Amino acid sequence: MNLFEKIFSYQLASRLEETATYTLTSQERAWLKMMLEQPAALHALDPQTLHKIGDCLLEEEIPQLQQALIEKAGSADGQTYSPLLRPLRLIMRRRQAMEIQRLNKHGQLIPTQYGVPWKLEFSMARREWYLLWYNLRTRAAMTTRLIHIQSVVEMVLPEDQYEPICQRMQEICSVERQEAVIQLLPMYNMELTRILHAFSCFDKRVEFVAEEQTYYIHLNFAGNESEYVLNRLRFLGKRVRVIQGDHLKRRMHETATRALARYEQNADK
Amino acid sequence: MAKESFDKEIQFLRLLALTGGNYDRQQFAGRLGISVHTFDKTIRRLKEVNGDADFADLFRYNYADSAEPVLLFLYRAKSMKESESRRLPIILTALKQESMTAAALLDICDEQLMDSHAAPPDEKTIRSDLRYLEEIGVICREPGGRPYRYRLNNDLTECLTREELIELYEFVDIMANTQIPSVQGYLLRDNLKKALKAATSESSDDSWQEEWLEPFSYRYHYDARILDEAHLYTLLRLIREHRFISFQYYSPSRKRSYTAQNTNPLFTQDSEPRRQHMLPLRVVYDHQYGRWYLLGTTPGGRIVKYRMDGIVDITAEEEADTLLCEQHTAKLDEHTRYSWLVDTGRTFTVRARFFKPALPQNDFIQERVRMQGQWGEIIEEDSRSFIYEIKVNGYTEIRPWLRSFGSSCEVLEPAALRNSLIEEWKELMSDYESI
Repeated sequence: MNLFEKIFSYQLASRLEETATYTLTSQERAWLKMMLEQPAALHALDPQTLHKIGDCLLEEEIPQLQQALIEKAGSADGQTYSPLLRPLRLIMRRRQAMEIQRLNKHGQLIPTQYGVPWKLEFSMARREWYLLWYNLRTRAAMTTRLIHIQSVVEMVLPEDQYEPICQRMQEICSVERQEAVIQLLPMYNMELTRILHAFSCFDKRVEFVAEEQTYYIHLNFAGNESEYVLNRLRFLGKRVRVIQGDHLKRRMHETATRALARYEQNADK
Repeated sequence: MAKESFDKEIQFLRLLALTGGNYDRQQFAGRLGISVHTFDKTIRRLKEVNGDADFADLFRYNYADSAEPVLLFLYRAKSMKESESRRLPIILTALKQESMTAAALLDICDEQLMDSHAAPPDEKTIRSDLRYLEEIGVICREPGGRPYRYRLNNDLTECLTREELIELYEFVDIMANTQIPSVQGYLLRDNLKKALKAATSESSDDSWQEEWLEPFSYRYHYDARILDEAHLYTLLRLIREHRFISFQYYSPSRKRSYTAQNTNPLFTQDSEPRRQHMLPLRVVYDHQYGRWYLLGTTPGGRIVKYRMDGIVDITAEEEADTLLCEQHTAKLDEHTRYSWLVDTGRTFTVRARFFKPALPQNDFIQERVRMQGQWGEIIEEDSRSFIYEIKVNGYTEIRPWLRSFGSSCEVLEPAALRNSLIEEWKELMSDYESI
């Protein structure tokens, strides 16, 4: 299998686009066949659709990867798919509202709510799906973990309401962004790529100051992402230091103080 | 694309993805071990492939915009002869409309390429094009004898209704973004997008919605991970074939990730690292950092591990004895059974107390431990805390994960790990004392 087929080339693709022609290779079909083996497929597609697709894939061989390819430090039960995705997407494509039964963050069932589903988001870090939606009664933007949703039922939404609600959600969710500067202590410069990998999911630029032989990582992130930035900072420990970003500095100090208190409390155990 | 230039481009893109493209030309070139001139040439070439997009902007991470990985264009970078890049689209477009023989396709090419400067193709060229397209599964032969008729093989998309296409597109979008390997999935996603547009323009109700193309958002993706899939299939094939391999290895902790090949043999000795020689057995993907490893043994049977992003210029070598190969694999599997990632050192039992958040908060700590704690187990629990225990090779690899819980985790055993974490928290506390 070659991922560098000329059929994939940009040169060819742009010419084909002029005549609205596209192509499908065996390896793309084989990949699909492999993914259809996963339980997610049964939730994502109708039995009839699955059957039709299956017929077109009869000749493809599933690449034998399982044995030699091993995944580590992933998540246990692979919440990478939720049976709620399909019904939710259906409502979203039809630009309708929903009646939602869900648990709150303490795990208690709360009375039925009414809202408009706006966005489905997957966090690679938590390996989990979230629904961002507009609460029709309180007019607030909500974020609900899909595993907390018990049921959703489609409800009619007057056509002229959909766009304004989406715009409102866009406004609420485009929160102010923050900047922080993180220094990599020069004695750990050898670990640069590992550290950059840990931050690679953020919007960032890296600066190297030759005189100090020091790397500075300028991070730019939304306010609600600072918890995850902190997680990464704790993850890397003493190799990095926050140079700019008072909130992060304060939180790191707090964490270190509390952690030490735990250890001291149990020193004699 | 020449092999050398390809390896260079991967290294280049990785550096760009990891740093956000903020080094100056000199710094970039220095890190890649190439001249500023070569650096400029590489940039020019990549820009041609990618259109006019500004490179630094390309890597500004903006999860809300698109689930399409910017680095996918690496796989679209293969260059073609100009004549071929004009001929193949004519053939494919013709076969989209109806099935045809090689002779009929030759006529069409002749007609459409009349004003081109190049000599018109001959029948042999057309036949070899058809052979290639059939081989990669893009076209298929109609039943019946000679002369063979060919057609575009888009059965997969053509048999589906538009609604079904949308649902398939969404399924592929999720799988490409959450599973490995993913490159073919992204390529398929791209083609399904075109199929969806075509299906919509044909249908009578004109209800195309741009939102269909980005049904989901994905946060905290490791962009660079798809670059390593470039070597994945070669390595998996060689593992299956029980082949020894050799390659140049640039340990990622070295300052330069890539050394330009010197044409002057006098220079090659100091600038190229010695070729590594090993029997590949397993490929490991680490979700924690989005990185790939190659594991195997030396000819002498010693276990060796390499980061895939440091591997350049892989060559297949002699075949290994099957029985020996199985023995080595069994031994490797035994040694990595308790590897948090790939550590094959001494096995320890790590025991840690995790503190639950105050009520009425949901116990998200325990949720996270259960989800990410691999084969470790919760062996004790009370209303305030629980104890997690895991048998693990060395504790360097699990340490960042434990530390990421901050004050919600207290390591109990082994004492050396406990003490070193105390030291580290002390250091961090004094670092941040001044604010």
